[in-house]
Amino acid sequence: MKNLITIGLPSKGRLKDKSINFFNDKGLKILPSHKERNYFATIENKPNIKIIYLHAKEIIQRLGDGTLDAGISGLDLLNESENNLQDKIIIKQKLDFGNANLVVAVPDDWIDVQTIADLEEVAFDIRSKRNTRLRVATKYSNLTNDFLISKGVTQYKLISSLGATETYPFIGSSEIITDITSTGKTLADNNLRVLKDGLILQSQACLLISKNSRSKIQKFEI
Amino acid sequence: MKSKKLSEQIIRTFKSNGFVLSEPDVLLDSEHIIQRSGENFRRSMLTFENEDGKVMCLRPDLTVASCIKYLKKKTKSKIYYSGQAYRRTKQKGSDLVNDQLGIEILGSRNQTQDDYKVIKTILNSAEKIKSKNIQIKVGDISLFKSLIKSLDMPDRWKLRLIRHFWRPKYFEELLKRLEKNSDIDPVTFDTDKKRFYEMKKMNQDEVIAGRSISAILKRFDKKIKDPRSFDEGKKIAKIIRAFLKINCKLSQLDEKLLDFVSKNNLKKNIFKEFKSIRNLKKLKTEVNFITNFGRDIEYYTGIVFEIFSGKKEIARGGRYDDLLKSLGAKKNIAAVGAAINLNNI
Repeated sequence: MKNLITIGLPSKGRLKDKSINFFNDKGLKILPSHKERNYFATIENKPNIKIIYLHAKEIIQRLGDGTLDAGISGLDLLNESENNLQDKIIIKQKLDFGNANLVVAVPDDWIDVQTIADLEEVAFDIRSKRNTRLRVATKYSNLTNDFLISKGVTQYKLISSLGATETYPFIGSSEIITDITSTGKTLADNNLRVLKDGLILQSQACLLISKNSRSKIQKFEI
Repeated sequence: MKSKKLSEQIIRTFKSNGFVLSEPDVLLDSEHIIQRSGENFRRSMLTFENEDGKVMCLRPDLTVASCIKYLKKKTKSKIYYSGQAYRRTKQKGSDLVNDQLGIEILGSRNQTQDDYKVIKTILNSAEKIKSKNIQIKVGDISLFKSLIKSLDMPDRWKLRLIRHFWRPKYFEELLKRLEKNSDIDPVTFDTDKKRFYEMKKMNQDEVIAGRSISAILKRFDKKIKDPRSFDEGKKIAKIIRAFLKINCKLSQLDEKLLDFVSKNNLKKNIFKEFKSIRNLKKLKTEVNFITNFGRDIEYYTGIVFEIFSGKKEIARGGRYDDLLKSLGAKKNIAAVGAAINLNNI
């Protein structure tokens, strides 16, 4: 169908539930598939709209390549994605859920490190004494890079992590981390502390649309 | 073809001045380069994975590639290179491939003599290819370091200013913070102090995320005794700004520096070590000295220079005494070098 609109929604957790609520609140009732684990859904009385449940990161990718016309995903994931993807995506609306901060965290017991300026000193210290670089584990290489460089921390090396980043400093995989946190509990429970000026990005869920689908979507007023 | 002929002429000059061809590897270990140049440089490199999954890159720069080759003990000390380097820049449409032609003295034993040799060889090359209106601009990063060391401010500030000298934009930000004393420095140490005493009783060799407890406590203690905030920030920022405005003919430099020193009530002997620059008075070419110069490349440690033909920069170079160590040399190996800008001749 020529006018079919495909919308990607997060496939898991709170982000999924809140995304569904967001559509329901707008009077667009999402009808799940008959099969429990099916990844497709529809909207009541809107035969032209197709919903697909995807990983939040995947939603950004698919908006970029045009498979999706619209979607809900995190600002963190959008800003982290490559520039050529970001160029193809528009933030239609920032939503009032999915709030989380991307932060720089260090071990609690690094009591001498409270600010980014401290981190900068320690990084240079490690470089000059051991000829190695401070290792920063992260799932957000691009955002972390831009942030650290802009704050004068240059002597570091990124270690890319897929999950459980909080463990890295304590198993010898990195010295510090950057990670996304909403309540800070996971960080605290793993003996990590956010630096006083260590906020990289305030993230939240966003309704995103693909630039190429702008005119198509306007007709449907979502 | 014109440029090929010119580079052949230049190479002849290099050879006749005792420089020997070095042909560094085209493929380098990416990790090695990142370790040296920092994570931010990754975006500039052209990388791929080899069959073992190891990330390799095309050499981004011939100076670095030549140093790596030298460390493998495969070249002489006085070398020249001529070849392609590969890197991406943020500018759209800029070339990925750059022809580079230059000389290096790796393991330089006599600073004054070797600095002079490199500059003189480049000047001879420029004369051979009949460049006109040749002028030299020089700076010396070690002079800035001498100034900072002589100023009355916390060590931590000194190191910070020196470390970021090569990043002018961030440096300016630091000066502003210095002026306004607006650095975030936590005032309440209470909870941390409690932990400090607990940690003092622990095994001091225990390591927390790569740092020993003793190192953490030592730095904590130092921070309390040497706070970053202090009263004289405004005055010191003013001195630094005045220093960075010095721009004069080499013949007037001594006078200018004396003037600067007395105006700012500094000790007379702080700028004693710049023989390399003074030595350039021997050249017949016009030399200008600029303090705010050569600040875009991290690895320079001493003299930096650019050679102009009219308004076009035809060569640039400088002394980089720390580069080889950062590439893995066990001890400091001093070095100085320069590259010709083939696009401008």
